[in-house]
Formats: sequence, structure tokens, C-alpha cells
Amino acid sequence: MSAAATAVTGPAAPRESVGTRKDYHALNAMLNMYDCDGRIQFDQDREAVRQYFLQHVIPNTVTFPTLKEKITYLIDNDYYEAAPIRRYDWEFVEALHRQADAHQHRFRTFLGAFKYYTSYTLKTFDGSRYLERYEDRVVATALYLGAGDEALASRLVDEMLTGRFQPATPTFLNAGKAQRGELVSCFLLRVEDNLESIGRGINSALQLSKRGGGVALLLTNLREQGAPIKKIENQSSGVVPVMKLLEDSFSYANQLGARQGAGAVYLHAHHPDIMRFLDTKRENADEKIRIKTLSLGVVVPDITFELAKRNEDMHLFSPYDVEREYGKPLSDLSVSEHYDELVANPRIRKTTLSAREFFKTVAELQFESGYPYLLFEDTVNRANPIPGWINMSNLCSEILQVNTPSTYDPSLGYETVGRDISCNLGSLNIAAAMASPDFGATVEAAVRGLTSVSDQSHIDAVPSVAHGNDLSHAIGLGQMNLHGYLASQRVHYGSEEGVDFTDQYFYAVTYHALRASHRIAVERGTAFAGFEDSAYADGSYFDKYTERAWEPATERVRALFADAGIALPTRNDWRELRAAVMRDGIYNQYLQAVPPTGSISYINDATASLHPIAAKVEIRKEGKLGRVYYPAPHLDNDNLEYFQDAYEIGPEKIIDTYAAATRHVDQGLSLTLFFRDTATTRDLNKAQIHAWRKGIKTLYYIRLRQEALAGTEIENCLACTL
Amino acid sequence: MTTTPAPLIEASVTPPSYRHDPAARLRPVNWNRVADEKDLEVWNRLTSNFWLPEKVPLSNDTGAWQQRLSAEERTLTMRVFTGLTMLDTVQATVGEIVQIQDARTEHEEAVYTNIAFMQAVHARSYSSVFSTLATTPEIDDAYEWAVGNDVLQQRCKAVLRHYNGDDPLKRKVASTLLSSLLLYAGFYLPLHFSTHALLTNTADMIRLILRDKAVHGYYSGYKYQRGLERRSAAEQEAMHAFTHELLEELYELELRYSGELYEPLGLMDDVAVFVRYNADKALMNLGYPARFGAAETKVNPEILAALSPGADENHDFFSGSGSSYVMGKAEDTADDDWDF
Repeated sequence: MSAAATAVTGPAAPRESVGTRKDYHALNAMLNMYDCDGRIQFDQDREAVRQYFLQHVIPNTVTFPTLKEKITYLIDNDYYEAAPIRRYDWEFVEALHRQADAHQHRFRTFLGAFKYYTSYTLKTFDGSRYLERYEDRVVATALYLGAGDEALASRLVDEMLTGRFQPATPTFLNAGKAQRGELVSCFLLRVEDNLESIGRGINSALQLSKRGGGVALLLTNLREQGAPIKKIENQSSGVVPVMKLLEDSFSYANQLGARQGAGAVYLHAHHPDIMRFLDTKRENADEKIRIKTLSLGVVVPDITFELAKRNEDMHLFSPYDVEREYGKPLSDLSVSEHYDELVANPRIRKTTLSAREFFKTVAELQFESGYPYLLFEDTVNRANPIPGWINMSNLCSEILQVNTPSTYDPSLGYETVGRDISCNLGSLNIAAAMASPDFGATVEAAVRGLTSVSDQSHIDAVPSVAHGNDLSHAIGLGQMNLHGYLASQRVHYGSEEGVDFTDQYFYAVTYHALRASHRIAVERGTAFAGFEDSAYADGSYFDKYTERAWEPATERVRALFADAGIALPTRNDWRELRAAVMRDGIYNQYLQAVPPTGSISYINDATASLHPIAAKVEIRKEGKLGRVYYPAPHLDNDNLEYFQDAYEIGPEKIIDTYAAATRHVDQGLSLTLFFRDTATTRDLNKAQIHAWRKGIKTLYYIRLRQEALAGTEIENCLACTL
Repeated sequence: MTTTPAPLIEASVTPPSYRHDPAARLRPVNWNRVADEKDLEVWNRLTSNFWLPEKVPLSNDTGAWQQRLSAEERTLTMRVFTGLTMLDTVQATVGEIVQIQDARTEHEEAVYTNIAFMQAVHARSYSSVFSTLATTPEIDDAYEWAVGNDVLQQRCKAVLRHYNGDDPLKRKVASTLLSSLLLYAGFYLPLHFSTHALLTNTADMIRLILRDKAVHGYYSGYKYQRGLERRSAAEQEAMHAFTHELLEELYELELRYSGELYEPLGLMDDVAVFVRYNADKALMNLGYPARFGAAETKVNPEILAALSPGADENHDFFSGSGSSYVMGKAEDTADDDWDF
């Protein structure tokens, strides 16, 4: 333990009283107030960063005389895992740190720095001192993901420090640490209609929450309230009590306090409990059924829209009866396809509900709570290149993969291990990626980094998840900073050029991602399990790219790619890729999924996902941060007109932008819709209809903004007047 | 919408007038004939802002409460919230109710019943915080402290005196000053905490309360100005003097009360500025110029920035329910909407 003696720890800083006025918070808050000339005070936020480092970060950072002593100390004291580092020669590790330091990384906003040091960096076990700088976290992550491959580790350091590639929170937070959760972001679990499966589902929710990442569970197959148990009628209490159990489980388990356990449940729109499911989010719901923190998603097939169009009732089908009639659960059946047959079958109990009332209720609940998410079942399955039926999504509604059920013995052991879903995510910063010297290599490095997480993850506590991952190697490459990039190029979000760019960008990413996955398949000599039955194997997936040319529709977008030195793939490139994929396969069953990128976009100085900004200066509130102000990336006092916020831009342009991207993405995209409080449930329904018609796969939150009543605003306050 | 025809108004009264004139014909409230559009605007805003404390996942704050707050800070929080409960109890049971009889329109009567109920919800919401975070003996201690604290009692009684007086306008002034001047010193603490990532769900709840209070204070002030316009110049002069005297009295009491609470934690300088800022806001609502002015009311920017009553906070759904949701306005879709 000689190294321990060399750590310059000094006396622990006394705990600050809440009364201590922190100048950097006050400076940061100045962002929300105009200066005398009515200009946004960006300089105050930059000063906040400086003061935060001077007053807080530097005095609380443990320093070491040499890198060698530091790494030794961290390994000996159980802060770092030894294995990821020892896979490399020490000289390489040192060189990699020099390479990282040469980037001279600086945080551009207070929130970026504050978020990083509050939530990501390695701290002493008592939580009082910092053991890593940003560069150290990047190197630790690159070493872990490189898994001994020096070229990949070095490439990833450059990709991360230029901001081009940013792994999702669970990966960036945990990689290389000895005391950590899993590196995977998302888990999706099926629950079948028996107590063993429900019990196993709750246990898995606990286990996975403990390890980090959000967990979604499929409740569609649970028998409805009043359904028989052991043939005795009116016995089952339906899905709501299961939701209560899950909600409590999630609040109990969290990842070493780093992340709140978070869960979602999905239910099919034609499940008889659908209204009870939605009513759990009512403002005046009884305590026994009120769901506060669990997220809700509803699976909506095309037929529901058709019925609403004709202003007819929708039939809700007992999953208990459906499973007995069809020999498979409701979740694995296309309700649109079998609808008339289900209605006509006298052995299936059914109730009815006006389809338009259903959509109106959904919108009412979205006003009150932001929930439920919507998943357009038939759209999703039409676009799915993999055999099987997609029946649910995850906590952020961007993961869309096939699954299969497990069966259990009475002691909760597995009789058959089905396939459940996990997905690890990471996002490219579009502005940074467009500036990459080699765009294709950037995409490839990201795909390799994400694949490495899949390869190194084995969730033993939930065998169905481990099994699914072993077979699929699914990853989710996302994107962020679309609005920031467009504005920096003086292109309006949602304009013809904005939508055109989105289409071409995703077109290019898709090509390079598939090419990378093909290369990995060749190197490993194996494709994902079931490749031979996929639309990749028979080449039909590629039809849309080989049957017509995808070229920029506008000169401006053509110029953007040309100026960036990015060659857009030609039809011939696609034909060659098709032949190679059909011959060798691809390694990853799924490649792309666009997450909402909350935290990582702040650290990366990007606008979130493909969304427009929430405000020119966003007021961010989180459990661990408090209330912090974040200026839109690339915004200055001279380009304000390109930074219309999401409420000003409105749902149509957001949907059109997402629709352009959706065509190229094999999984989904988290799409939040933003409304002013003057909207009605009809406005929400119209946006949902528009989204469904445009081929959007899922809708995430509804966010609402209420302007202060005239006469009650705060003077000089940005939020009140912008 | 048109106003109720004059003959009908002259021939009838609303129920609160019964005690003055038992013989008069009674008139039901008619929302299809609104005399003052402000009544409808405020009614709509208040109803769409309806909320109950049960929607806020306060239990997410238990970690911060137990592990990050010191014993002194916990006691301070309990007392500040008990003090807020006292004021909201005064408003719910007396302050808003007594203004019903003074209403200038029948719709104003309805608005005050809503305000009174929401004040009761606010008073109730602090108890939700207590039952989530604290133990029964701690809660009992806080209530004992409130009953035993002289300055707290004086603050309430200084206002109650005028609620039970003869002049409707004095009631309005007293109510506006209570809402703007006395309450906000209590809100300082949770706003300050939330900037530092402490009790952020409690702060969500406080922001819901603030969202309501901003409207209540504005509305009472507006109605005061309408009432004042009908008074003689001499009476207006007298009300001006009354307002400033009461303001001085309450300001003095507030500094003593808040001083006792906040001084030990070194927060009183900031709180005093905040109290002055809100005193000026109260005067503004009543249509008077500021008493203190810009130099004496430079509020700590992190508090001021947190004060905006618009629902514009971009919260992270996984750690709270946020303070920006409202009751939806239901509207049926039409056939055209489903034209695909």
C-alpha cells in the first residue's frame, strides 16, 4: 500500500452548510436574466465554469505525483478494475493519457461541468473528493471498450474528446470502475400470464435496477380484472396491482444511489384493463391505484386508428381467452390482422369502448402527467428486418426488438430460457461528426465501442436477458445535436433543408453502421443468431436503397456534405454492401436507436437528440443537480432566430424531421412532442394521427408549457419573456 | 358574452347579501353573462392549475432529508413549513372566505371559493411533506413551536384584525400583503434548497404553490384597484396611508420572525432582500409605486431565476413529476381530423 501514502489527500473539506452562498450558482442563474441591453449573459456562465473549478473542483481533486502512482493507487484501493488496464502495455496507457491531455478539453457550460463532476467522475468512497478529471474518465472508458485493442482504444479517445462519440450514461459512468453497475442502458422484459412469471419479473426489475439502466415490462399478456383463476370466475385483479408492486420495487432499488431505479410498463390498447391502466395517472386517483413514478406505454395497432376514423367502438379482448384460443399470448398476435376474427369468436370475452374516446382519454392523461408513450405496433413491425413480432419498447421508447417468452417451474427456475432484450446506447454529436476527418471511421468506431459493451455484458441475474444478448449483440447507435448543428449552419429546424439534411445524414450513418457490423461479422466469422431468416440475408432490406437513388433534395444540403468532405453512399455502394452482407452476415441484430440524450448532451455540449431546444436558456431540474440553467449549444446573441424553441416550432415540423430519420433507423427514436397549455386534447390527437400517418414508430413524452398569466411575470426574466 | 341585464341585477342579489337583506330575491351565478372578463380568465387559469399534493413523489426526498441535511437545517425546515401552514390556514378559513361578501361580481364570489379551497390544499400539502420526511414527535414539536411562537402569532393577528374589520378594501390590502410579503420568506428556503439539489420534489410542490399564489396575489390586487377607483380622493388617500402603515408593521414583524429562523444559518441577509422584493411586488399588485426600489431588492439571482411562475422547467421525469402539468382541456376530434 505504499502508493496510498503518496496520494495527496489533505484534510477532508468540511461539509458545506446549505447556507453557504455559492457564487458559481448565482453566476449561472444570471443566464436566466437579461443584461441592461436585453442580451443573454453568456459570459456570466463562462465565469461560473471558471469559478466552479477554482472554488470547488480544483481544491477537491486528489492529485498524484505521477500517472503510474495514481493508477496503482486506484487499483490497489478498489477504485479501478485492474483487468481492463492490464490488457495493455503500460507504455500504451501512458501514451493514451498524453493523447487525451493533448485535446485540452474544456467544459463550455456550467451545467456540463457541474453534471460531470456531480454524476460521472470517480469520487473517493466518502464522496468528498474527486479522483478523475474528464480526460481520465474518457481514457478509462476507451481502455475498457478497446478490450485490449490499442488501435480501437486510441481511436475512441479521439472520438470522445472531440465530442464526436459519446457513450450513454451507464457506460460512461461505469466503465473501468471497480464498484459499479452494468454498462447497459436498457432492459425489456416479457411477463406472461402466470404468477411465476410475475414474480420473476419483479425480481428481475429489482436486480436490473440495482445494476443501473431502465427496465420496461410487458403487461399485455396478464389476464384482465375479473378474469377467472383456476376456472373460477371474477378472481383476477388485473394489471393495476402488478403495476403497484413494480413501482415500489423500482423505488427500492437504485444503482448505488447514482441513478434512481426507473421502470416502464407497456399495455396493448385492446387489453380490457386499458382504461384502468391509464387512470392510474389521474390527478385525483385514489392512493391505492395511483402510479407516481412508473412510466406507462400503450401499444396501438393500425386497427384502432381505422376504428376511430369510422367513429366506431373498439373491442377489448381478454388475454386469458386469446391465449386459450390461439395457443399463443395476445402480445405475439397482430391484433389488426386478427381483429374481425377476434370480434367474431364467441369464446373470447370482450368489452367495447369508443375508439375516439380512447384517444381522447390518452390525450387527457398526457396533459395531466405526460404519459402514456405510444407505440404504433404495425408501423414498427412492418419496418422490422428481423423475424418475430415486436410488442413493447423500453423506458425511452427507442428500443424496438423481437423477444420470446420464458417458462418457469414453481420454484421460479427456468424451464425454457426465452429471449429478453437489452440494449446499450451511445450517440454521435451530429455537428462534431460532420466535422470528422473520416465520417465512416467515426461511425465505425462508435459501432465497435457499442459492440464491445454487448460482448462484455453478461447479466447473470436475468438469464433471459443474457441469453438474448448472446444471440443478438444488439446495439443502439443514436444521434444528438441536430438542432445545434442546423442552427450553426443557419438552417431552420423543420424547414425543407432541415428535413432534407436529417434524411441524408441518417442515410449515410445507416450505410456506415451496416458496413461496420459486416466487418465485425467477417472478423469474428459469425453473424447474429437468426441472420439467415432476416431481411438482410435475402437482401430485401436493401431494396429501398438499390431501387432508387437517395440524393439531397436541396442544393444547400448537397453543399453541407460536400463542404464537410463526406461522400454520400451511391446505389452502387449499396449493391456492393448488399452482396457482402448476404455472403457474410452482420454481427449486430439491431444497430440504431435514437435515445433522448438528457445528461450526456449537457456534458457533450449538444442539443438533445433530434429534438428542438426546450428553451434558448433551458431551466434544468434534476434530483441530483437542483435547478441549473443551460444555454443552447452554438447559440449567441446574433443567431437567436435559428433557435426557436420546441413550443414555437410545434409538433408538425418535429414529426416531419423524425419521419425523415425513421425511414433509415432499424429500431426507434424517442420523440417528445411539445405543446403550449392552450392546446386541447384534440390538438394532441391530431399530432398523434399525423405522426402515425408519417410512419413514426413511437411517441415519447408530451411536454407542456404554460406561460405566466399576464401581470404575474418576473421582470427581466428570460423564461418569462422569450 | 354579454353582461347580465341591468333590471335582473337590480331586482336580485347573490346569496352572500342575504344577511343584509333577507327579503331580496336571490340570483344564481350565471357564467354565460360575465361582467368582468378577468373573473373568467382567472377562473380558467386556477381550475386548469388544480393539483393535489399526492401527485408529487415526495418520498424521493427522504435520502436528502436524512443524509444531507443537518439537524439544524431539518428543524428550520419544519418550522418554516409550519409557519407557512399557519398562514395558509388563515387564508383558507378566513382570509379568502371574508372576501366573498365583498365581491363586485357574482363570478368573483366563485373565484374566491376556488382560491379558499386551494389555500386549504396548500395548508394540507406541508403536512404531506411532514408525514413523508419526519417522525410524529418531530411534527408535534413543530406545531408546539408554532403555537408558542409570539412573533408568528403576531404576524397572523396583525392581518386577521383587518379581515374582521369593516372595510372591504382593507381586507384586500391585508390579504395581498400576507400573500406577497409574509409567505415568500417561507418559500425562500425550499427554493434555496432546490438550487443545491436538496428536497427537489418538495421544491416541485412549492413551485406548484407559487404558481397558484402568483395568480391569487395578482387577482386580489386587481380587484382592489377596481374597488379603489370608486372611492373619493380623500378615501383613496386614506387607503394609501393605511397600506403603507400595514406594510411597515408586517415588514418589521417579518424581519423579526425570519431573523429568528434564518439568522443561525447565515441566510438572513438574502432573505431580507427577498422580503423587500416581495413587499414591492405586493405594492405593484395593489397599484402603488415600490417602497424599497431596485438597490435594496437585488435578490440572489438563483432565487429570482427560480421564481418565475410559468411552467417552464424542463425536468427529468425519472426523479420527479415536475411542476408543469395542467388539467387538459378535452375536445372531441372531428371527422376531418381522421381523414386518412
